[in-house]
Amino acid sequence: MAFLIRTIDITASGREIVRDREVGKSELVVGRAAESDIHLADLAVEQRHVRLADAGGGMLSAESLGGLEFGLDGRSVKEGTIDPNVGAEVSVGSARLAISREGDGPVQIIIKQVERDEAAGDALSSFALAAALPSKRTMAWGFTVAILGLLLAVPIVTNLTSTAPENDPMDKDVVGATKFDAAWISGGMSVEHAHLEDNCEACHATPFVSVQDETCLSCHEELGLGDHAEMPRLREGMAPLSTGDAIQWSIAETLGKEGPLGCVSCHSEHEGPVDLAAEEHQFWDQQFCSDCHDDLDARLTDVSFGNANDFGDKHPQFRPLIYTAHFSDKPVRVSLDTEPVEMSGLKFTHDEHMDEQGGVARMAISLGKYGAPLECSDCHSDWSEAERDMMREGGLADAAIGTLGNVKWSQADLKNLKQSGLSKRRVEDLGDYKPVVMEDSCEACHSLVFDRAGPAFRTLRHGNVDDLMADLATMDRGPRGDIVSGRGRPGQFARGGRYYSNFGRPMGLYIAINRALERDGVCGECHIPTMTDGRRDLTPVNLPNRFLMHGAFYHSAHEEDAAGNPLECTECHATSTSNEATDLLIPDLESCRDCHLGEAAAKTEEIVPSTCAMCHGYHTPTSPWRPEDHPDMPGNGANDNVAAILSSLRR
Amino acid sequence: MASVAGNRFKQDERRRNADHVSFLKHRRFRWLWIALMLCIVTGLGYAMIDQEPRPNGGSWYGYTLGTIGLLLIVWLSLLGVRKRKITTGQWSLKAWTSAHVYLGLALIVVGTLHTGFQIGWNVHTLAYFLMLLVIISGIYGVIAYATLPSTLSSNRKEMTRAEMLDALTALDRQLESAAQPLGREQTDLVIAALEQDVFYGGAWGRLTGTYPGCKTNRALARISESGSEAEERVHALLVKRADQLGQIRRHLRIRALLEVWLFIHIPATIALLAALLAHVVSVFYYW
Repeated sequence: MAFLIRTIDITASGREIVRDREVGKSELVVGRAAESDIHLADLAVEQRHVRLADAGGGMLSAESLGGLEFGLDGRSVKEGTIDPNVGAEVSVGSARLAISREGDGPVQIIIKQVERDEAAGDALSSFALAAALPSKRTMAWGFTVAILGLLLAVPIVTNLTSTAPENDPMDKDVVGATKFDAAWISGGMSVEHAHLEDNCEACHATPFVSVQDETCLSCHEELGLGDHAEMPRLREGMAPLSTGDAIQWSIAETLGKEGPLGCVSCHSEHEGPVDLAAEEHQFWDQQFCSDCHDDLDARLTDVSFGNANDFGDKHPQFRPLIYTAHFSDKPVRVSLDTEPVEMSGLKFTHDEHMDEQGGVARMAISLGKYGAPLECSDCHSDWSEAERDMMREGGLADAAIGTLGNVKWSQADLKNLKQSGLSKRRVEDLGDYKPVVMEDSCEACHSLVFDRAGPAFRTLRHGNVDDLMADLATMDRGPRGDIVSGRGRPGQFARGGRYYSNFGRPMGLYIAINRALERDGVCGECHIPTMTDGRRDLTPVNLPNRFLMHGAFYHSAHEEDAAGNPLECTECHATSTSNEATDLLIPDLESCRDCHLGEAAAKTEEIVPSTCAMCHGYHTPTSPWRPEDHPDMPGNGANDNVAAILSSLRR
Repeated sequence: MASVAGNRFKQDERRRNADHVSFLKHRRFRWLWIALMLCIVTGLGYAMIDQEPRPNGGSWYGYTLGTIGLLLIVWLSLLGVRKRKITTGQWSLKAWTSAHVYLGLALIVVGTLHTGFQIGWNVHTLAYFLMLLVIISGIYGVIAYATLPSTLSSNRKEMTRAEMLDALTALDRQLESAAQPLGREQTDLVIAALEQDVFYGGAWGRLTGTYPGCKTNRALARISESGSEAEERVHALLVKRADQLGQIRRHLRIRALLEVWLFIHIPATIALLAALLAHVVSVFYYW
């Protein structure tokens, strides 16, 4: 085997000097020794470093002689086999020997000095993933700037530099001035506040100050929501907090919360679309009320009502609001224990009217309107839920208002009914039953007809003594005395004639007016005559629409007893034994307890366990909380999220 | 003196043994037990304490969990600072790392309970998911560190990274001379192969090991094995080149799989700290 050895040196100016020589040996020794076949003047090379020998079959073997490694195709090896036809590169010290062969020619070895590769270090660093990705620091800074800029700086700056729109409970389209604060919302809004989702500042008025009662009331006072009591009295009357709660609240109050009596301590927002008013059953629990009311008089010595902790065990007697004297301006609350006398200004006996065998019954049977003895519902009817909804929603036309019954609405009520609707509170204050209206309920028997004009009857206007006098004054049919006796006017001018005129003194109509206002006159049938400034008058009628002002009662819920049997009015209202208009037929506490006992009572066919909230509301004493009205609201019933399931399991 | 020497020996032995215990098993899983206790206690608290109206981050228990979580996150992220200061003893770096891993895992429970399972499109949930991203990438990192180094080492076949590159350049030089007799078209294929960056392919190529645009494979497919002598030689050299490139690329893939979690873990940690700041400030700004 022959070798062609080509040495390439590079001069300082970069020019290549190529020297060729042929060696006709079957093996070559590469080393620093002068007698080596390939002499490399490099201290890193051994005297005799590598031997290249013919391995037969056109192959070359390379073998380390001194035990030090040499490079073969980039690898450090001590021996290896080379196919010169494919080519290989042996590196020894700083020299690189490229081995190849053209066809059957000699094995060519080209010797070159390696230039130092300055970029080698850089290339190694390319093995790290960092070479193919943006640096961690760049990414970290990028994310940080984006998050702090968009989600913190923008909302804060726009919040501080803009003016929040004023709260208006009637305008539900207001959008807040703060940008990107939607990213701060910690949970969905309640049903009532859903429209405030884009108006955070409506409630979060001052930075780093928790939502204040004042802000809540900026809308809710206007919406007619009453307070349970004035804040100082609430604080005074509140049951002492447990140690844990006291610690929590002292921390919270240090940080600006308004304490356990603040609005938000019960009405938690951002809990999803729940009904805030009926939010949780905790307020439905008797305990919620009895915490304070069980021994309220120990803390508030001047309260006018008794303690309560359980309707069956401890609840004060009812104190309906009634007029206890004629002409009084204000109704007063009187306990049913004191057998109160109601001075309504009316004469009326329930027993006479309800007696199925009596004259009233006979008269009713004879009248087409009744055709049967009187029933309670002939005079008393309750508001339907649909009618309450109509009143609350408003926007009613005159005709629609007419369907609510012959109620004498105030001007303010009429305006509200036509526009935004009556407030919840006003609707509750109207009472469960519609007012009894004379023209609807009494007049069929107690007729107000006083004259006949052609085919029609003339009816007295009811409700005002002046109207009555005016109506009667138009009646001119009583016979008047003749001015002269013994002479009559002739023909058609005579009494009974077409042109007859009555020139007598109008005595008859004065007598009629006086007669009407007497004890046994047409008015006196029901009213109590009196004198005002020397003139005949009637005692004003003082009949409250509702009697129990601090608790709710719905007749519609009492059409059946607990067992489902129909419940007659007379089972609670002693009409058959009431023979005085001054009887107050409001059932007392004991009568309610026939069916209603406290929360802990066992439910039976007769007994309905009743929490405070069945009749009382915290803010709206005249209407109860009724979470069961909203079974579909999350939080008010079955809920399938993990926390709720855990929570229910816990309970 | 003998007893002193004996003690010294024991002490040294203990330290030597400790040096060879994985950070996961540090002190018989001390931090695993502490983390488990933290999970159990916070979980029981969540289940037993009646939060009205329902559990969330704004109840007193929610604030407590949030504070624990915040302190944990800040402390866990300080590992980056701590690891640059090498000390030994009670708070050795190994102890820190062990605590970092196990307390980081416990944070899944603490953080999730803090949310009260209320999730939404807001900065609060952003912080929560960044936290989960950091923890999940950390879990991946622990697994990668436990399993991948052995494959990295077996792929090396006793070659250093520099040798792999040298081998490639040696092949490239041979290819260059071997390709001299080839025609234009084939020469261009060889040039393209030689000119292509060894590290071509980007992060995705590295992670998946797919290099659809590899010019060496392209040249290999088009230069016939059974053509002229020169073609044959170039083909053989290209096969060698592809093999060498394959080794480098396997190395790159393993390295990438080993390192990629840090490119999520670290930036996400810093982003999490930013989101936490926004979370806490926004909650109290709109309190």
